[in-house]
Amino acid sequence: MSLTYLKEAVDANDTEKLIRYVRLHFGDGDEDAGKKEIDKAWIEALKLLLEVPATEREFIEQTIKEKDAETLAHLYFRLHFYFVARSNEWIHDGKI
Amino acid sequence: MEKSNEEKQLRPGLWATVNERYPGSMITKTDFIPLAKLIKPLAESRLSFVSTSGVQLRGTLPFDTAHPIGDYTFRAVPSNSKTSDLEIHQLKYPTAGAERDLNVIYPIERMQELAAEKIIGELAPNFYSFIGYNMDAERLERTLAETIADAVEAEKPDVVLLAPA
Repeated sequence: MSLTYLKEAVDANDTEKLIRYVRLHFGDGDEDAGKKEIDKAWIEALKLLLEVPATEREFIEQTIKEKDAETLAHLYFRLHFYFVARSNEWIHDGKI
Repeated sequence: MEKSNEEKQLRPGLWATVNERYPGSMITKTDFIPLAKLIKPLAESRLSFVSTSGVQLRGTLPFDTAHPIGDYTFRAVPSNSKTSDLEIHQLKYPTAGAERDLNVIYPIERMQELAAEKIIGELAPNFYSFIGYNMDAERLERTLAETIADAVEAEKPDVVLLAPA
C-alpha cells in the first residue's frame, strides 16, 4: 500500500482501510497476525503492571505534556515493537 | 555514461506488472530508465555499492523500522569496514543468514577481495545503505534516492552495484 492509499482512506474516513494497514504493518503483511501482535503488545504491557510497581508517572505526564504529538505517535509505534520483543514471540523476519 | 537503447532495456514491462499485481502499493513509473554501459575495464574502474539491506556501522542510530511510513535516511558505510563493525536493522526480510555471514546480503568482503586482486580497480571510499520499507514513493525518489545519488556521484565511481535485500 502506498501513502496515497492511506491519505485517501483518511480523507474518506475509511477506518477499515486504516485498520487493515496497521495490522498489515505489525503483521508483516499478514492481517490476522498483525491483529494478534497488537493484542500481544498490550498484554505484555498489562503483565508488567499487575503488581502495581512504582513507575515514573512524572516522566510520563511530562513527556506527554512537553513532546509534540508526532513524536508521541512515533514513540507509540516504537513501543509496540518494544513490548512484542519482550514477549519472546518474535514473528518478524528481521530485527528492530 | 553512454545510454543504451530503449529496446534493449531489461524487463521493459516491470512497473506495469508491479502495479497490476499490487494495486495501490507501488509507484507508477512510466519514465524510461536508461541502462548505462561500462566505459572502461572493470580492472580500471572505481566501484561503489548501494544496498537496501539496512546494514550500518555498529553504534550508529538504527534505521527506523518501527515507523509506519518508513525511514528515508541512509547510512554511508566505509568500504574498508570489517563485517564485525557492521550490523543490520531491518524488519522485513529474513536476516538469520546475514547474521552468520553478512556477505550473503552485503558482499563487502568479496568486493574488498576483488579490489585487492585488482579484478576491480578500486572501491569508492563509501558504500551506501538504506531500508526498503518506504510507503511514500515520491519522497523516496525525491529525497532519499536523489541524496544517495549525489553522495555516490561525489566519490566519482565508474560502476555502481545495486543490490536489493
